[in-house]
Amino acid sequence: MLTLVVRRLLLAAPNVILISALLFFSVSGLLGSPAGLMLGQDASPEAIAALNARMGFDRPLAVQYLSWIGGALTGDLGRSYTMQESVVSLLLPRIPITAELAFLAILAATLSATVINSVTVARGLVRPVAALLGIAGITVPNFMLGISLIFLFSVKLGWLPTTGWAPWSDGILEHFRHLLMPVLTLSAFYFGSFSLVYRAEYEAVRRQLYVRVARAKGLSETAVSFKHVLPNSILPVITYIGITLGQLTGGAVVTETVFSVPGTGSLFVSAILARDYPVMLAISMLIIVGVALMNLLADLLYTVANPRIRLT
Amino acid sequence: MPRRKPLFGLVIIAAACLCAAAAPLIAGYDPTQTSLQSLDPPSSAHWLGTDELGRDILSRVIYGARISLTVGIGAALVATLIGVPIGLCAGYLGGKTDLAVVQIVDLFIALPGLVLALIITAMVGPSLKNLVLVLGFVMWPPIARMVRGQTLAVRESVFVEAARAVGGGAGWIIRRHIWPNVLHVAAAQFAVTIAFAIFTSSSLSFLGLGVPPPTPDWGGMVRVGFDYLIVNPAMSLAPGVAVAVTVAGFYLLGSREA
Repeated sequence: MLTLVVRRLLLAAPNVILISALLFFSVSGLLGSPAGLMLGQDASPEAIAALNARMGFDRPLAVQYLSWIGGALTGDLGRSYTMQESVVSLLLPRIPITAELAFLAILAATLSATVINSVTVARGLVRPVAALLGIAGITVPNFMLGISLIFLFSVKLGWLPTTGWAPWSDGILEHFRHLLMPVLTLSAFYFGSFSLVYRAEYEAVRRQLYVRVARAKGLSETAVSFKHVLPNSILPVITYIGITLGQLTGGAVVTETVFSVPGTGSLFVSAILARDYPVMLAISMLIIVGVALMNLLADLLYTVANPRIRLT
Repeated sequence: MPRRKPLFGLVIIAAACLCAAAAPLIAGYDPTQTSLQSLDPPSSAHWLGTDELGRDILSRVIYGARISLTVGIGAALVATLIGVPIGLCAGYLGGKTDLAVVQIVDLFIALPGLVLALIITAMVGPSLKNLVLVLGFVMWPPIARMVRGQTLAVRESVFVEAARAVGGGAGWIIRRHIWPNVLHVAAAQFAVTIAFAIFTSSSLSFLGLGVPPPTPDWGGMVRVGFDYLIVNPAMSLAPGVAVAVTVAGFYLLGSREA
């Protein structure tokens, strides 16, 4: 197992390095010298040149990239141009917030997609409703759903806080009151996507011979669905979860912005708008590495979900 | 039953296209004309009220269809023009060409479309033309992948083998025999790409990197309206519903799974 993990990581490494280089060269090349951004529009050319020399921005891009990637490998992602703080110290407190939001949203989406579709596919009674919910999940943008939830639960009913984040130290109830709408908003899209993937596989699996045998032996539809079909239909969803969780390591940019959640996604948007590219690059790298690691984790989970699968 | 979904999508698309084409006739006001009646609630004169600059919200939503459809269709065209030839060549030629295309597509998948679009838009600056090009550039990999898959299947057909046996060149076979059998997949993916281009462009606008004001743009309107949610919810919710319904229309038309 350990050999497999190491081999997969070594295979992913060239891709990560290639994407990081593409990002670094394109961002640095198109945005120009950061000294101009840091000193503002009124800065004199001499001041810009002096800062360029002091910070090493006048070196060739290839040298700057090697210095940046070397720093990244030792945990130094540079300093933010706008917040005058190291990128690592900006990121560290935000990662757990984003991780919690992403984990709960994916958990909610996975449970609801598998359970609702197992029931509806088996019974066929509320199937159109589940299909409609799935399509709505995919086509309603996060910002629209988030604002609608705020309007209903905060403005009209006054049950939940509009925006913001409460740490665990404020109490469990307060923490989850702030978390509920962001989790619902973020999970809606994934509920739709997971439903599509799961339903297609579920339909294929329920036509298998062993499912017919289970039915012929007198098992109820619910038992057949949940004990025999569900475990064998979950593999494509696991793949999707791997990609999704990886992509969400960089934060849920829209959801975090709507609800003012202080995670990596809202930091990424601020960095983009301020052209703070050490932060942009760091979060992009976080996503790329996250996708590679989560893909690996999904592959390993395959063997748990279906012991017949042997990874090589 | 499944046949009704594309039809339903087509009805929604027709309504959106009608709004875009006949906006000056349908909308009661100039969408950029400001007035002193700011933040008015819905009334008989302004069915959805007015925004913070006194502009009629309904008129802005109707005119907003023009921008969304332009960005959606434009981006899908760019993505198709890049993705279809690449997918056809990769699928038909196979070997190293196929391997290279699959590698490039995988590179794109490592970053979510919205994140990549945010980075590129921040670099090139937000404008209508840039949005179309950026979204087209971000959205070509799924088209290439889909077309490649279908081409791989068609390539093994007997009629393609026969065309090869009579001495047909790769370009001629792709044009005359492969492309007509891949067209339906590309057309369906084209509709889905329009849906996600509208979805992503409205998200970019919501985050502040969309078409610059005062052009009426649904995502930007939702963003501004969010600050006035208590005063006039329609200011944010109406353009949001317009985005969701239009995206659903194109998605229902194109998606085979929907």
